[in-house]
Amino acid sequence: MPRYGMAIDTTKCIGCHSCRVACQNQNGLDYKETFNWIKNRERGVYPSFDKEYIPLQCNHCENAPCQRVCPTGATFTSKEGVVLVNPNTCVGCKYCMEACPYKMRVVDHQLGIVEKCRFCIELVRAGGTPACVSTCPTQVRIFGDLNDPNSEISKFIAQTGALPLRPDLGTSPKIFYKRS
Amino acid sequence: MQESAWGWLIITYLFLAGAGSGAFLAAVACDLLAPDWSKALAKAGSLVSGPLVAIGTLCLVLDLEAGLWEPWRQIYLANNLSSMIAWGVIVLSIFIPIALLYAAALNEIGFIGKFANKYVRPLEIVGSLFALGTATYTGVLIAVVNGVPFWNTPLMPVLFLASAISTGLAAAMIVAAIIDVATIKTLSNFALGHVIFLSVEALVLMLLVFMSLTRSTEAAYSANLLISGLLSPYFWGLVVILGIVVPFFLSVIEYLEYGEMPKALVVGADILVLIGGMSLRALIVFSGTPPQII
Amino acid sequence: MKKPGMSRRKFLIGSAVGGASVVASSYMNFEAWAASEKPVEDVKVTPTLCDGCGNWCAINVYTKGGRIWKAEGIPIAGINHGRVCAKGHALLHEVYNKDRVKSPLKRVGPNKFEPISWEQAYKEIGERLQTIREKYGPESFFLVQYPEGNAGLTNRFINALGSQNSFSHASTCFLPRNIGWWITTGNAKPEQDIEHTRFGLFIGRNLGAGLQLRQLSDMSKAKDRGAKFVVVDPRFSEIAAFAHQWIRIRPGADLALMLALANVIITENLYQKDFVEKYTEGFDEWAEKVKEYTPEWAEQRTDVQKDVIRKLAHDLAEAAPRAFVHRGYHGAMGTQYKNSFQLVRTIGCVNGLLGTFNQRGGMFFAPKVQLGKLDPQKHPAPTVPEGPMVDGSGDPERYPLTPVGLGLTHAIPELAIQGKLKAGFVYHNNPLRTCPNPARVIEGYRKLDLLVSFDYVLSETATLSHYILPESYYLERDDVVHTHLSYQSKQVSIRQAVVKPLYDTKPMVVILNELSQHLGIGEYFNWTLEEYNQAALAPLGVTLDRLKKEGVIDLGGKWEPGEPHFSTASGKLEFVSSILKDNNMPAMPDWEEVLVHPDPKDPHSFRLVHGKQAHLTHTRSINQKYLKEISQLNDMTKVWIHPARAIALGIKDGECMTISNAVGKGRARAMVTEGIHKDCVFLPSGYGVFSRNLRTAFGYGISYNDFLPTYFEPMLGHCMSNEIIVRVEKTVT
Repeated sequence: MPRYGMAIDTTKCIGCHSCRVACQNQNGLDYKETFNWIKNRERGVYPSFDKEYIPLQCNHCENAPCQRVCPTGATFTSKEGVVLVNPNTCVGCKYCMEACPYKMRVVDHQLGIVEKCRFCIELVRAGGTPACVSTCPTQVRIFGDLNDPNSEISKFIAQTGALPLRPDLGTSPKIFYKRS
Repeated sequence: MQESAWGWLIITYLFLAGAGSGAFLAAVACDLLAPDWSKALAKAGSLVSGPLVAIGTLCLVLDLEAGLWEPWRQIYLANNLSSMIAWGVIVLSIFIPIALLYAAALNEIGFIGKFANKYVRPLEIVGSLFALGTATYTGVLIAVVNGVPFWNTPLMPVLFLASAISTGLAAAMIVAAIIDVATIKTLSNFALGHVIFLSVEALVLMLLVFMSLTRSTEAAYSANLLISGLLSPYFWGLVVILGIVVPFFLSVIEYLEYGEMPKALVVGADILVLIGGMSLRALIVFSGTPPQII
Repeated sequence: MKKPGMSRRKFLIGSAVGGASVVASSYMNFEAWAASEKPVEDVKVTPTLCDGCGNWCAINVYTKGGRIWKAEGIPIAGINHGRVCAKGHALLHEVYNKDRVKSPLKRVGPNKFEPISWEQAYKEIGERLQTIREKYGPESFFLVQYPEGNAGLTNRFINALGSQNSFSHASTCFLPRNIGWWITTGNAKPEQDIEHTRFGLFIGRNLGAGLQLRQLSDMSKAKDRGAKFVVVDPRFSEIAAFAHQWIRIRPGADLALMLALANVIITENLYQKDFVEKYTEGFDEWAEKVKEYTPEWAEQRTDVQKDVIRKLAHDLAEAAPRAFVHRGYHGAMGTQYKNSFQLVRTIGCVNGLLGTFNQRGGMFFAPKVQLGKLDPQKHPAPTVPEGPMVDGSGDPERYPLTPVGLGLTHAIPELAIQGKLKAGFVYHNNPLRTCPNPARVIEGYRKLDLLVSFDYVLSETATLSHYILPESYYLERDDVVHTHLSYQSKQVSIRQAVVKPLYDTKPMVVILNELSQHLGIGEYFNWTLEEYNQAALAPLGVTLDRLKKEGVIDLGGKWEPGEPHFSTASGKLEFVSSILKDNNMPAMPDWEEVLVHPDPKDPHSFRLVHGKQAHLTHTRSINQKYLKEISQLNDMTKVWIHPARAIALGIKDGECMTISNAVGKGRARAMVTEGIHKDCVFLPSGYGVFSRNLRTAFGYGISYNDFLPTYFEPMLGHCMSNEIIVRVEKTVT
């Protein structure tokens, strides 16, 4: 069974937001609702000034706090390691949103539930890649199987030493960032 | 990236559940420890306890979306016992009937009251346990949230419990005064309760803020929001001065002056305690800051 | 608590509604919901071409239950390689925008419109046009368009009416870039083989916002292979975040930097001698000229240290010929500065010094597809009226190098005020918002006796028009065959309807066909789109059916490196241009000052520079909710200002600034950042919509055009859109 993860190379991100809208369309989201964000951070003084664009989305933590606190069990981890929300049992209590240290969950006011990035699991199961990956003009994202040492993502992580955001929070995220 | 998912409904719930369970504890304490002259307070506390918690729970339900539109979904709420909410649902659904039954028993309301009156002691013992559970639970609910480091401390349930008892006592005293203004004089005995629990609350709050300043950057950020930042006027004004310091001194005077203080000031001190309790919860929720992730 | 939106709820929850089934579902395998969510409605895929910007990327558009759902890029498309940007995704929703024009409209008062029938519109336009023709002649007619795709049809239309006044957005966008490259290399838009390059230099070109998806994709691959990219820009542009080095240049001084690079490359003997000898014209003369333009000289003007300039020259020369200085677009090399034309010339020449043409990893000329034409016996083409355009384009005495058919759009208001233009047709363009000094533009367009817009919403220009003939949205119409996808190989593609028109709108070709019958030029439009497209495809051995099925067809003819061929007069890359010499213009690239300078003594005085954001195209995209939300969420209408200058004015990040000059006044909040040169403030473009009929966009942000005087650059006549000096101060409330 694969264990899906993503690698993100922020040195290639130009903040164009293609991923955001691709995801919104794929998942039929309203314009205000998104599973993807791009934050930026400026550092230094010219000539060493730099601005980094950092794409953010659900980290699909191995030890997912959102899943632990979900009273209804609507949040679950799929067999591929993808953290999903069962739209039929979520009541919209938003406890998961408070529990997520990355703040990557959103309320879907159309359904009245809390939603998040699903790694486009229906596309992936059909042999495709998540919408944010395939649309990215600068190929910032690599999606694949973390269990397979020969997958592109595993090699990328091994070569670049990409790390999750705030690994010290102890949630074991499955999105790895190369940031310099 | 929504910074805070919880708003006034949850804050109101945190406050009302605390005040309601505190009122229950106050009522039990009066009924068990004090002689006849305190029965008025026991009755008032028991009357106010169940409804407050029930209204708080209603706020909790109103904050739901799918669970509100399709109420049958709420049966899933106790599915995952590793969630504090699941435990909360269990505790609340046991406590609210007990509190209502207790109110009926002490006030001898109707047929149920007469029946329950025979089991006052068991109701008091079991009810107190669940009242403690409810009061503590509101703190634990946010204390286990590691998405907000400021909340993520064992001091939080202690603070919420202390505040629940003060606010519960205040609520009971106000209701007692409403039922019978004459009881105010006798209530002065209980000003000591305020003195004790407001002191505990102040101490725990101080510990929370001081320890947060060094615990982590995010917790320090939250603490600074309260003591010197954007929220500081509300924190010092509503929580510390109006909510703790003023009622503390009023209660000291009230206790010493036994029954000689103007009635408005007696009830005023209790109202201030309630305002402080509500503000405390609001500010703790609003000052919650997620970890710096980029 | 929001009121539940029922559509999606119903769809997703569907069968789950009903107590018993819900109880059961709580105990069912959670994996099952993903399966149950698989679309139950039928999904259809139609290949077509996006209309989000001028790239017209090839996309597969998915519909679900007859409603537009999503888009994916077509992998073989030379221009986007299977990628789609935010605009491409978001503008799919535009088909359902409530602001759309739902039938032909006649303006009956200020911002008052009355729906009329197509017949009535055609008839009235025909009558009014006839009156104008009798009084002022057909030379008072004009067309303003975005000259792509259907331009063959629209030009045919205006020519058939007897006018050569076909304007484009060129004079506010790319004019010097195209003419400069054409003069230097004989090709107006050379490409660069970014994927295989070792070193790429970008002068003011911000691929990260003026998106070109193929080039970005190639940059990503090149970066993996170890290529180095340097960006020269007064501000830290989006592509600077991708690049390895950012050079913060004084705005308008790029020419000085390029001349100094030429100086170092020549004086240090770093140029490709073989290439220069065999394929260039006038090297010795130019080498003599650039001797004076030392890095020391350039440092004074560019605010870039001479060592940085030398290092840049060395890096370029070392990587050459697998290197390039990017061909540019609007930024610096477009219609921005008085010296932009000289800059393009110099960049062409530096590429010549580096011998990058037709080299792997260098510059190349994309293969061109020759489409077939309608049989002239059966379908006669109108004669193109001779002589220059009314604005002086093509006039040997005025703007000899500015082509007829591009023209100077921003001259139209003045020409209308002078009474030289009387009747206009506007297609896929919005001159009221994209031309300098809107007050003057409005005044000019108001003077017209007839203005007809073919728009799908009531843009600023459409709102002022007498008639609006609504073209179907691009997802609802078939267009002519296109060849613009050709990048490294020849490709042909087509835009076709994905859904039926929602309202009483028509494809442009149908509108022209019908309208022409009422204007007495019906004989030039006596064919259908099908016939037109079949004739176009005839020489390619591709059937229309196959093209419609596949969307994009690769015809081979792949570009291979080798000997370069220049289609200039001399057949060589021209350091010294005979055309420029003949027209009494500087024959060699040379230093030229910008038009205006901020006052160095006045802390309030700044140059106002502008640039795109990746999710917006001009002003038509901000009316799209998905795109506007990106701007709002990320606070992207802020104006950039350097910290030292901001402190001097007492402005803190996020505070409101008032920006003003003789032309206009506006307010914007400040983004205080090291990422901009001290001399300028940066205002993102794409905002400042003032048409009340664009309800999402109206009143959000401001535009640089609000501050830009109407200029005509002496050589080509372009608008010099970065020659703006403004006064910036903290807003007092």
